[in-house]
Amino acid sequence: MRILVVDDSKAMRMIVVRTLHLAGYDEHEIVQAANGREAVEAISVAPPDLVLCDWNMPEMSGLELLTALRAAGWQVPFGFVTSEAAPQMREQALAAGAMCLIAKPFTPEDFQEALDPVLA
Amino acid sequence: MTYIPSADDLEVITREVWTSFLDGDPAGLLPGGSGADGDRVTGCVHLSGAYTGSIMLQCSGPAARDAAAALFSMQPTDVTQTEVVDAIGELANMVGGNVKSMLPGPSALSLPAVVHGQLAVPGAQVVREVQLTWRGEPLVVSLWQQAAAAA
Repeated sequence: MRILVVDDSKAMRMIVVRTLHLAGYDEHEIVQAANGREAVEAISVAPPDLVLCDWNMPEMSGLELLTALRAAGWQVPFGFVTSEAAPQMREQALAAGAMCLIAKPFTPEDFQEALDPVLA
Repeated sequence: MTYIPSADDLEVITREVWTSFLDGDPAGLLPGGSGADGDRVTGCVHLSGAYTGSIMLQCSGPAARDAAAALFSMQPTDVTQTEVVDAIGELANMVGGNVKSMLPGPSALSLPAVVHGQLAVPGAQVVREVQLTWRGEPLVVSLWQQAAAAA
């Protein structure tokens, strides 16, 4: 499977990739994008099987990306990985079509709990 | 009455971030310290909405380089300013996002800003602050509130 990791922080993209490996998802292809607009380009070139995306980013936010994907008919599983995890954010994420919201900081176990339905 | 996260809350959140991504050792971050003087780096995120203010993370230059090295899995001597800015910005974002979750909402969280030196926010005052020590270097986390809203 191909996993697209979207975050404007290179450090956080590295941590997400590292955590995916620690969670046991090390056989998957992982590609990266630095914001929603880059993610749209990456998705149009090679559609992923899962998108893990930050919420707050320049150019195009994670929510704007998810909304654009769903409006275009893309139903790829989409999870937020964000420092903002208040209940209203979770509700907003799920209402927009996200499968999960993983709060930063996170553990490999958090990833397994949220992503096993797609990746296991 | 509106709950404002305490200094202990700031420490707990910072400790969770540090333990998860920087050390893995809860004892690596010690309470107390003298604050960062001279060579220092400040990461900041702003909140606007039901709560208007800022969350700042300030540390010494060596601590900022160590943090970047830990996040990027590289040697501190190989860390560039680009990596320091990325790392301190993301750390401020994580601490700020978690603090935001404890504040009254809705509020919008800004993208992080990072400066080398001290950052002043006109019209805002510190309402909570915790001083910590990481690897022998000072680390200060503070919650600011716009003066008009703080009255």
